[in-house]
Amino acid sequence: MRSTGGGWVCTCSKSKAWSDCRRRKRNIQPGKIISEDNMVLLKNVTPPCEGVRYQQSETTAVLDGKGLGSGTLYVAENRLSWFDGTGMGFSLEYPSISLHAISRDVSAYPQEHLYVMVNAKLSEEGGAAEESEMKEKDSEGEQDESDEDTDPITEIRFVPSDKAALEPMFSAMCECQALHPDPEDDDSDSDFEGDEYDVEEAEQGQGDVPSFYTYEEGLSRLTSEGQTTLERLEGMLAESVAQQYHMAGVRTESAAADFEDGMEVDTGSAVAGQFEDADVEH
Amino acid sequence: MEVTHSIRERTITENSLVVLLQGIHGHVTTVDLRDESMAKGRIVNVDAFMNIRLAEVVYTDRYGRATHLADFFVTGRNVRYVHIPDEVNIIKTIESQLQKIHRVRNFGGEGQGRKEYLKYKK
Repeated sequence: MRSTGGGWVCTCSKSKAWSDCRRRKRNIQPGKIISEDNMVLLKNVTPPCEGVRYQQSETTAVLDGKGLGSGTLYVAENRLSWFDGTGMGFSLEYPSISLHAISRDVSAYPQEHLYVMVNAKLSEEGGAAEESEMKEKDSEGEQDESDEDTDPITEIRFVPSDKAALEPMFSAMCECQALHPDPEDDDSDSDFEGDEYDVEEAEQGQGDVPSFYTYEEGLSRLTSEGQTTLERLEGMLAESVAQQYHMAGVRTESAAADFEDGMEVDTGSAVAGQFEDADVEH
Repeated sequence: MEVTHSIRERTITENSLVVLLQGIHGHVTTVDLRDESMAKGRIVNVDAFMNIRLAEVVYTDRYGRATHLADFFVTGRNVRYVHIPDEVNIIKTIESQLQKIHRVRNFGGEGQGRKEYLKYKK
């Protein structure tokens, strides 16, 4: 927002005075970047000061065909931003950027530039921070194509006055983009997050990383205290089951043999875990 | 192709077919994108997240309009297909990429070796 003689001047294309601007009429605070459906997408509009991998001044930004003038491009680790000298600008979150490229084909576009495709629709000076769920067309925008049936996109071109800067701009964006892998990608969820699979450890466990003991292994590893506790619990179980051996027609002796998951209670008359009735508290 | 220094990326790579894409650096091929556009060019780099960098690209947008782009980077999320060139032997490429990853793990020095892999037998 620029201030002239007491009144805010809106950078929106439709009106010059903030007082007339329909964004103000929707009670949007100045300084917030918004989209057409009144969603506040970004909270700050200041150039980044941390993690700036590359910045390039004297860079014109063209947003969906509309020139925004000359400013400075900031390729930072958290977001890509561009600001002109007056504080107007926009920021993009890397997950919203589908692709970027260097175009040197002047027959396609008269200037060599860095092309960025954003998978959302932006308002003129706005920024998209999120994946596009917006179906609404930007009615103010000048659009190259109609987007009713397909995902809305925004095309941004950054035209530096120094064409040699295109390579480092591009490379810096590649690096920063790689810092933001797709969180929704289930395929790259690795079971071994961050740590390489330790083969020796696995070999000791006969191919399985042991997470529990079978009954026999477990018994041998019990301390004497543990064994006492186990016997006490088994006794309690046995008592409770003895009162219920008519229940469900299950014969305790034969049923005990069916439990091979290491949870057998070896008192000869108890069914482990099966009928944990309210009489016994564990 | 250089094996990445990131353990996480190496693990992701060897557990997915991205390892194949990392073996075809330098080949010219077509990448079909999610929005039905296509990019044909020389593969410069593919990382574990399937982010792809191409050079000397003919980019055909979803409406069929073609432009030439000198350098091109697409996020893995937006890749639908990567065409594998006919001349590429897929199995051999995968095997050789996996070998490179295992070599990185096995050799000591520069913090990259892990001694337990000396016992690892295929």
